[in-house]
Amino acid sequence: MPTLLDFIERANNGPILTEKDFNMKFLIPNVRDIVKAYEITLDRENPISGDDAMADRLYQAAVELLVRTGIYCQDTNRVIQLDRREILSSVEEFRAGQARFGEGRDRRAFLARKPEDKILPWLHVGTGIVASSKEIAMAQVEGYGSIPEASSVSVPAFSHIRGMPVTGGSPLEIYAAIDCVQTARRALSRCGRPGLPIMNLLSASTTAMGTIAASYRAFGLRPSDGWLIDVLAEMKVNYETLNRLAFVQITGGNIGSTAVPILGGYAGGAPGTALVKTAYYLVGLHMFQGTYHLTLPIHFNSGCNSMREALWVFAATGRAASRNTRYPAIALGFAAAGPCTKMYFYEAAATILSQVPSGYAGIQTPHPAKAVIDDAVTPMEAKFTVEFTRAVTGIKAHEANELANRLLEKYEDDIANAPRGNKYQECYDLVTRKPAGAYLRLYDEVVKEMTRLGISFK
Amino acid sequence: MSHREILENLARVIIEGDQQSAREHAQSALDNGLDPLEAVDNGLSKGMAVVGSQFENGDVFLPELLMAADTFNAAMEILNPVIEVNQQKTSKLGTVLLATVKGDQHNIGKNIVATVLETNGFEVVDIGIDQSTLKIIEAAQQHNVDVIGLSSVMTTTMPYQKEVIDTLTEMGLRENYFVLVGGGPVSQRWADEIGADGYGETAMDAVGIAKRLIEQKQ
Repeated sequence: MPTLLDFIERANNGPILTEKDFNMKFLIPNVRDIVKAYEITLDRENPISGDDAMADRLYQAAVELLVRTGIYCQDTNRVIQLDRREILSSVEEFRAGQARFGEGRDRRAFLARKPEDKILPWLHVGTGIVASSKEIAMAQVEGYGSIPEASSVSVPAFSHIRGMPVTGGSPLEIYAAIDCVQTARRALSRCGRPGLPIMNLLSASTTAMGTIAASYRAFGLRPSDGWLIDVLAEMKVNYETLNRLAFVQITGGNIGSTAVPILGGYAGGAPGTALVKTAYYLVGLHMFQGTYHLTLPIHFNSGCNSMREALWVFAATGRAASRNTRYPAIALGFAAAGPCTKMYFYEAAATILSQVPSGYAGIQTPHPAKAVIDDAVTPMEAKFTVEFTRAVTGIKAHEANELANRLLEKYEDDIANAPRGNKYQECYDLVTRKPAGAYLRLYDEVVKEMTRLGISFK
Repeated sequence: MSHREILENLARVIIEGDQQSAREHAQSALDNGLDPLEAVDNGLSKGMAVVGSQFENGDVFLPELLMAADTFNAAMEILNPVIEVNQQKTSKLGTVLLATVKGDQHNIGKNIVATVLETNGFEVVDIGIDQSTLKIIEAAQQHNVDVIGLSSVMTTTMPYQKEVIDTLTEMGLRENYFVLVGGGPVSQRWADEIGADGYGETAMDAVGIAKRLIEQKQ
């Protein structure tokens, strides 16, 4: 298997071309040709696909896309070429369960799953993209750690330091990244889960500089945490990516390859998006040499992934990758509606239904309100993720499909005008850190409604 | 071939994204004595409007939009020399400078906005990602733009949108440009807070706001 230095060498010596030419002459035509040749088709009426034959074609198509297209390095303007034999060899060599996260009682192996697996997925709770103020972040993370079934947490980024807005690449980024790590560790200790792994490092960091600074061990991070490193949409990396990779690999941390393909972007509609999303598993496993993967599509216009096309992308790619690799992946939903709204729970349930029977190894709390409103996330959404995921583990794709269609009826016409919901401080008591009565009542109503749909909450 | 047929063909090849045919039909327009500006306004631009509308409705995606734009440019390679010789001017609605602010490497949203603006008759100067405040202002002056569009996809880069507006004010240039902001975490509230002239949640929003602002100016 090539090393990271081999890939860096390819980034320095591969074919040179402009980014526009890469997009227009290679990426777009290759995606189109391969989608057609491998007959990758969206079934809008049945968003949660249980089609194993198409899943296997999608996986083969993803290998083909990588071999024909490569990965473009924006800083060298060169293509990192990938070899079919090397990719398949990396897939073959990857041993499931080699990734272990956390410390003490909370140390666990993150295992791959298969479609319709009865094994409970890894429960990754919380959100990383939503920015929070320090006080709220402390309360949120304590709330996440207090969920007994939580396998790992995502911790929020800070938007301000001493009243100054945190800007990427500035010294404030370093302060914010360090503060974020220290606050999260303190919150986890306070709730009695000091060993719980943080697996979204470093959400507070825009540049590799922030990541490296906050990873200094005195601040509380450990190699048993997880560092997220992005493939850029679509099929691109840059020096920020490679710098992070080099640092985390050399220091022995867990690399979480991360991919957020844009549904409607360079890869086109749902079939093309599923193709690049599947290819990113292989980029993560082979080129990034990750120990886990974080994956989600985002709709170019709506900024969420609860619509039926995105559910199909989740289902098709999860099935393709989990049938053909042992690379454990966390699926992440993005809801249009915010906390303390029924619509959020409908969307969260539908995205989880598209993920659990499709073989995802881990499920993360679907992010409320498209993850764009500061402080707008609470432990209740994490609790729902855990309870709903437990309830639907072992479900068949066709059963999940039927339930998802019934949930879609409740919200899909409202995605463009989704309710923004409440911020943490508007639906939680800041002193007791407990949800307000209104939120508890809404939650109970949602659980009852879903029970009537046939979901058995344990 | 009638002028009407030529115009229909020009619109069709844009919708199909067929660059070779676009060049041929553009040449045919000139050979048949069609005014090149009419070929642009009633042929190519009509095709672009159809693709723009399909994109807005979710019937086509970014690849089709980009291919339509490239096809438009292919036809313009044939028509432009004649337009220049005749000293004519294409009817651009205005010029928009687009940039992703400093520290932000995201370009898809900005690229979509650029293409949608072009398909709707704007001239676009796209200076790319990770652009410092002074580079943005310098480019706005150099290209004499009407609108500055600033993209930011991360909360940690949003403050640079404010920095551009504040610096324009400090330099006494704020009145020269409309400033529009957009990007995943950006909101109307943020736009109001930093004194932007407009916020676009989608690419089509950006077009609508840019049109409205430029009309007001005129």
